[in-house]
Parts: sequence; C-alpha cells; structure tokens
Amino acid sequence: MIRFDRRMLAHFDWWLLIMFLLICAMSLFNLYSASYPPKPWGTPPYLKQLYFYLIGFSAILVILAVDYQELHFWNYFFYIFVVGLLAAILIIGKTAGGAQRWISLGFFNLQPSELAKLMLVITLASYYSRKEVTDGYTIRQLVVPIGLTLVPFVLILLQPDLGTALMLGFIFVSMTVFVKLRFSVYAILGSTGVAMVLLAWEKLLKPYQKQRIQTFLNPEGDPMGSGYQIMQSKIAVGSGGRFGKGYLEGTQGHLHFLPERHTDFAFAVWSEEWGFFGSLFFISIYFLMLIWGLYSSAFARDRFGMLLSFGIVMLIFWQAVINLLMILGFLPVVGIPLPLVSYGGSSLLTTLLAFGILLNVRMRRFQVGQNGD
Amino acid sequence: MEKKLFIDDLEEITEHDEEALNMLKRRAMVAMGVILLFLMIIISRFWYLQINLGEHYRGMAENNRVRIRTVPPPRGHIFDKYGREIVTNRPSFNVALIREDSFDIQDVLKRLSVVLDEDIEVLWERIRKGSGAPRHFPITLKEDVDWQTLAYLENNKYKFSGIRIEVQPVRVYHYGDLGANIIGYISSINPQELEADKDGVYEGGDLIGKRGLERIREKDLRGEKGSSSTEVNASGFEQQQLKQVDPLPGRDLTLTIDVELQRAAEQYLAISDKAGAVVAMEVDSGRVLAAVSAPTIHLEDFIGGISRKNWNALLENPRNPLLNKAVQGVYPPGSTYKIVTALAGLSEGVITEHTTFYCPGHYYFGRRLYRCWKHSGHGTVDIRRAITESCDVFFYQVGQRLGVDRLAAYAKKLGLGARSGIELEHEKAGIVPTKDWKRKRFKEKWHEGETLSVAIGQGFNNMTPLQICLMTAAIANGGKIYQPQIVEMVKTTDGDIVEQFRPKLLSELSSQEKRYLPILKDGLFGVVHGKRGTARNVRIKGLTVAGKTGTAQVVRLAQYKGLKEQDIPYKYRDHAWFTCYAPADNPKIAVTVLVEHGLHGGSGAGPIARVILKKYFEKYLLEQARKEAEEGKDDKA
Repeated sequence: MIRFDRRMLAHFDWWLLIMFLLICAMSLFNLYSASYPPKPWGTPPYLKQLYFYLIGFSAILVILAVDYQELHFWNYFFYIFVVGLLAAILIIGKTAGGAQRWISLGFFNLQPSELAKLMLVITLASYYSRKEVTDGYTIRQLVVPIGLTLVPFVLILLQPDLGTALMLGFIFVSMTVFVKLRFSVYAILGSTGVAMVLLAWEKLLKPYQKQRIQTFLNPEGDPMGSGYQIMQSKIAVGSGGRFGKGYLEGTQGHLHFLPERHTDFAFAVWSEEWGFFGSLFFISIYFLMLIWGLYSSAFARDRFGMLLSFGIVMLIFWQAVINLLMILGFLPVVGIPLPLVSYGGSSLLTTLLAFGILLNVRMRRFQVGQNGD
Repeated sequence: MEKKLFIDDLEEITEHDEEALNMLKRRAMVAMGVILLFLMIIISRFWYLQINLGEHYRGMAENNRVRIRTVPPPRGHIFDKYGREIVTNRPSFNVALIREDSFDIQDVLKRLSVVLDEDIEVLWERIRKGSGAPRHFPITLKEDVDWQTLAYLENNKYKFSGIRIEVQPVRVYHYGDLGANIIGYISSINPQELEADKDGVYEGGDLIGKRGLERIREKDLRGEKGSSSTEVNASGFEQQQLKQVDPLPGRDLTLTIDVELQRAAEQYLAISDKAGAVVAMEVDSGRVLAAVSAPTIHLEDFIGGISRKNWNALLENPRNPLLNKAVQGVYPPGSTYKIVTALAGLSEGVITEHTTFYCPGHYYFGRRLYRCWKHSGHGTVDIRRAITESCDVFFYQVGQRLGVDRLAAYAKKLGLGARSGIELEHEKAGIVPTKDWKRKRFKEKWHEGETLSVAIGQGFNNMTPLQICLMTAAIANGGKIYQPQIVEMVKTTDGDIVEQFRPKLLSELSSQEKRYLPILKDGLFGVVHGKRGTARNVRIKGLTVAGKTGTAQVVRLAQYKGLKEQDIPYKYRDHAWFTCYAPADNPKIAVTVLVEHGLHGGSGAGPIARVILKKYFEKYLLEQARKEAEEGKDDKA
C-alpha cells in the first residue's frame, strides 16, 4: 500500500507548500490579535489553533504516504461515518432540546458539517472519475451524485446550518459543471435551483435567516441589529486605510465592536491592522495558492486526481469568496469561515486534510498504472 | 445488451482518456479565470473601502470608540474696585446616574432615595426627563449634596452601580444680594438661546448669564470648555483615558463699584423700606462707584433655576424688584432740572447773574396761575438764591424767556434724554420734550404754559437717576460728560489684563457755557450750606457738599390737596430727588438719589446721599493722609 518513489519527492510542490505555510503563519499571527487581550482563563484561541495545526500537519504527513487512489476505497467508510455523525447530532440535538452543530470530544467540539464538505468532494470526485461520459452527463446519470449530495445537505439544513448546506451545493455545482453536462441538464438544474430558492424563502428559512438577508439588503436601516455586524465589519476594514492601524492596534476588534472577531470576521481584524496593502498581500498569496492548486489539478495524472484537486480548490475558494464578500459587506452574514484564517478546529482540520490530498495528487502526477491495484 | 449508462470498460476509458483529460484541463483553466475575476472584485472592494472611504470609516471607528465629555470651565469671578470678591465659585457635588453603567437602576434608585432623602418618584422623574439623551450621558439626580452623603456614596460605591459624583462650579455671592441688578444671575440655557448660539459654544444644560453683567459679559466670564476623551468598548465600558483638555477658566471682572458704598446705600434703603435708586460716580472719570436699585432681587433664588412661585412674586411686587431703577427707571427730574434751566438761561443771555425776579409765591402766565412750592413767596431772588432756595417763580420766567426748544438743547448738552451707553441692560433714554417731540408724539401743538412746567422739571420730562448723576458730575468737573462705566478691568486667571478702564469723554460744554458754571456751583453750595438751603440735613462736618433737591410730582389730584403728606396713599406720593457732588471746591464724587414716593428731596433722599458721602470721605481722607505721609518721606529723602 505504501510505496515510496523518489520521483515523488522531486515532484513535490514546494512552492505550493511555501505559500500554504506562509498563509498558515500569517493566520496564526492574526489570530493572536483577533483574540487579544487574552482572557485570564482557558487556553487562548491562537494556542488551540496552533495545536490543531500540529495535529493537521501530522495528518498531512500520513496522507502523503498513501496514494490518493486509496480514497476510492476509504471514502465509503468516510461517507458513512460523516453521515452517521450528522444524523447522530440531529438526534442528540432533539433529545437535548435544542439545535446543536457539534459533538463534544472532550478536548474539542467536532463539527461534522465541516468534514462533510471534504467528504462530498472526495465522493463526487470518486464517482465522476469512475462513471465517465464523453459528451456530458444526462439527468439520469446525475441521479446518484445528486442523491449522495442531498443526504448530507438535508441533514445539515436541518441542524439548521444554511451556510454550510449551501457550501455543499456550491461544491456539487462546481464539480458537476466541471465534468460537463448535457445542455438540457443546465436548463433543468437551473430552473430547479430557482424553484428551490423560492420555495426555501417561503417555507424553509427561519425568521432569523430571513432577517439576515433582509438586513443585508438594507444594512443601515437597523444599525444595532443584524446590520450592525456588517456595518462594524465595513468600519473595521475601511478604517484600516492604506497601511492599517498596526499590529494589535486595531480598535474595532479589540473593543469588541467587531462581532465574531476571531472566527468569521478574523480577516476584518487583519484588514484593520494592516490596511489595504496588507490585505492585498494576504489575499494575493491566498488566491495565488488556489490558482496554483488548479494548475496541479490540470496536470494531475488521472481523472480522479484532477477532480479531487479541483474539488478541493473549489472547496477552499468558495468559502474564501463568501467569507470575504461578507466581510466587505457584499453578502449577508452566513457563518462561513475563511479557511485557515478563522478560528475553528473542525474547519482547520478539514482544510489541512484537503490540502494534504492536494499535495498528494500533485506529487504523484507521474505515477501511472495504479488503477487496477 | 442494454445501453450502458456509463463507460466502465477499461479499454474504452483509455481510448477516451486523453481527450477527456484535455477537456478537464481546459475547464480548469477557465476556473483559474473565474478565481482571478473574483480576486479582482475583492481587491477592488478593498481599494474602495480602505482607500476611497478610508477617512470616512476611520472617523466612524473613532466615533465608535471615543466618548467625549465636556468639562465645564470655572466661570470668571467678579471683584469690586478694591479687589474684594463679590461673586466667585464653589464646587457643587452632584449625584448623577449613567444608565448604561448601572446593573439595576430600580435597586440603585431605591437605595439612593434613602441616602439622598429624596422621594423615589422625584428621582424617576429626573431620569424620565433625561431619557432622551444617549445612555452613556449622566443624568443629574440631585445637586449640591453635602459631605456626609458624599462620603457615604464614595465608601459604598459597589452598591450604587452607574452612580457618579460630578463636580460643577456654582456661584457664591459673598455679599448676598449686593448689586444684584448689576451683576445679574446665571441659569440653564433655554432653547431660544441655544438656537441663537451660532458658534456652537453651548449645549443643553449649560449655564448662561441671564441678566446684568453675567449676561453682558458672558463671553468674558464663561471661559472655554475642556473635554475628556475616554476609550469605550462595544458595551460602553470605559477602557482608558485618551486625552484630557483642561477647561480655560473664564476671565475675572473687576468692577468700578465700591462694595462699601454700594452696601451702605442698599442697607439704608432696605432698612427704611424704601424703593428707589442711588448712583454714585467719580466726577472726573465716569467710574460708577455705586448703582443701587431697591428693592432688590435675591440671587440665591436663581441658583439652579428660580421657582415659579418666587418668579411670580417678583412680577407681582408693586415695587418692581426686576427693574434696575438706576438706569431703567424714568422719573420727572423735579427741581434738579433747574440746573439745566439755569445754565440755559445764563448761556443764552436771557438772564445774567444779577438778574432778579420777584417771587410772591405764584406766577401768572396768561390767565393761569403757576404756584411756587413756597406759597408765601421768596421775595426778590437772583439766580444763586433761586437755585439755593429752589424758587419756582424765578425759573418759570427763565423758562418762558428761553422757550422749550432752547431749554431742551441744554438738557441734551448735559447728557439728558439720551442713553449714556453704560454697560447695563435696557438703559432708558428718558424724555427731553421739545415742540417737535410733542407734535410727533401726541400730534399736538406745544403750549407755552407747558414750557413753565418743564423749566422746573415737571411735565413731560423723564430722566433716569443715572442721567441726573451724569449731569451733576458734569457741573462738578467743569462741563465734561464722561461715559459712565462699570467695568474697571478684565483679567485672565493668569493675570493678563485684557481690558482696562479708560475714561471716555462723550461731550463737553463750550468754553462760553463753562464760564457760568461757578454761578451754578455757588447756588448748589447754598443748597446744603446756605441758611435757607433745601438740603441742610446733608451737611457733613469737615466736608463741603453742593447739591440740589427735587420733588417729582406723581399726580396732581385735587382730592389730596390740603391733606397731610403722610395721609396721601403711598403710590400717589411725590418722588424725592437729591443730587450732589463733593467736596464743593474740588469735586471728586457725584451722588444721585431717587426715592420713589419719598416726598421731599431734602428729607427723603438727602440722608442716603449723606451716608454714601460719609463712607467715601472716610476713605478719601485716609488716602489723603497716606499720600501726604509718603510725600513727606520723599521730601526728607
């Protein structure tokens, strides 16, 4: 199972790793400020995050040792494990008399919905690579992937966690469009999507979710309510100006005007303290890393590798875009973290695992003929 | 074999592999484009927020975190001529509530109502009134709390969350109501005043001068507000002091008023329960040494706002304490006006110092009988005797020869009928009647008989006590009308003099007119020192005084004729005037007294002038003695 090839080291993507580590370092550095001043009790968030980084890096080493082809096999268990956790949460949540998104593991709270994102990427990549068509998938051929997506999607929606559920939708759409559909399928999927959005607005959305969307459309109308968060985020970013207020000098974050400053709005803290040029630097490297990842995808040795790395890039990309657009006041508050930057063990571990897979695909691009093993 | 849903044959896959992978490769490139597009969108949004709107958001962030509170400046002090404190400040400790910082307002108020000995409803009412302001604004619950209560609150801070002790300077009046009508009072700014404040100096709740010098000199006295900036977090809790700008204390006012003279006159009027006005002035500078109006307002009533009851009492008081009678009260000048008639007569050549008229106690003009106050008559009188004995018949004839317009011209030359421009509010100009004036005012022709009344200071004549004093000073100093002034000096707390008294000459008699002044002075000297003078009771041993009495008719009613003076109802009794200067040969001070319904100038008004003169000269003599002693030293050296 574990096969070492010296070519793997030669094809290891050092540049990608350097960019990745740079982002990780800046994120940790920022997290210290985003949770500053430290509370007198408990482990400070940046330290906890550091532990997860260490756990994640160890996991990456393990992943690199194993050919990603193994994922075809392991994913069955992974899928069942995650869906099982999601279902368990719903049941525990019901008996505990309230919504719950995580399972307590003692030292940290596991959020299965985060794992579900990666799980879906692997599942779809595995499926689309094994079931290949030449001139676009038909609706009938999409029944299985749609079903595989819908199961975690609905379970997460029921938590309720609209943001993460929509993330699964984004992953599904990106990967499905990537593998090419029949023209008629676009039309059908498109109209179904619109119908679902309308239906969701009428029936499914909770009042607080509607409120968030409504205040997003008119944030100044309610400065102390939900629009407050968006306003404060824009103030934090905007007040950073060209060069920022300096590290640990941000007032919006440290005086608690900024909500969720070390999780969803962590990047607003960076923007406030480092200004436009700091943000430009960070975001450019972040997106360059994603483009680099897509480049690996384009030159993966097989269809599975391509789909895997594409899906992983999309997984990070969509979360980053949605989070940044929210911080910048373009989107309502949806509770999507900025991968690597936002505090949160589950999200970080998922991202690190995903990254390990990306590196894995990249370094095995010249190994061929493993398919039948 | 049914049609396969997918290509799952390995052979076929290899066949399609290359083509399919190329397709995905192209699609990956498109995805890169999509990522780049979003990168551009996001970066341009950062550019817009941070560079285009950076300043705007920086301001908003500052507003978020910085709470600015103004620190009231201590108001300037007011001193008398000799540096004695008339008005200063003391700290008043107020108990205030910051709603945002209070965990349980209900509970805190309950405790407070016991500690402050105040009904809890009163406290709630204060909070309701202040509830329009932001929650971090302190609402004052009780002013001027005593030390004991203060100490208790400080020691039990933890029981009173959100309660703050605020220090506010309040006025202290060291001489009680001394000069109340000159000094005035301060009170909370009202909406109209806020509206008028174009410079944005004031905010609601500020104290502002409402009356007297407190109002006129508001700009000097108020000082500049300081500010204290504190950083607060999102919950409004204060984090740290950022900046403290100390307030700039108001400038101190030194008045020309001499507290002793002012107080002597005020006390005399108060004790004898008289309404009236007293003005004392330095003859050769225009410094006002005393400006009294009785009855007075009570300044303490105005601290923290006057109650409706007290205010109504002031409005309804028939003696009108709100009127500063020294400059706002107008009265017929009575016989004091004979000074004008005398000067006019001599200057216009209608009489000489030797002209005599015979006074049988009355004078017929046409068919009308004009009486002299002395019904038995003065016999043959010249100008000097006419002034000394205040012979009406003499001045009827002088007035008749002059005509009203020529008379009015001299009245104006002596400062009557016009505002002097003293720094006191609502000064009245008074009335110096002329033919034109009557035509405009009543659309009537002037009757020659009216000129006779005017010549002895009755009729349409109306003057303020200040104007009569100004006239007296002009006679005393040889014909100069000085602007009466009340502010000696304006000083910053650092001691820099911003403004210093300088005598201001308003006008001067011609040298021709000045030549006749000694004749008038002889007559005025006789009033006090002559055998038949009308104010012999004013004499002070060792001091020469020259003056003129006057009686201003309030009404002339037949029904009161023959009644004893004391039996005439108070409000119909004549006003009493006395105006004088001293020493007669080298005048220093002019004093004018008006006692409303005081009957006779000599008896009603004279004693008050005498009190002031005595006080003044005690001090004057001491001063002289010291000067002589010093000169003596210099000579020896």
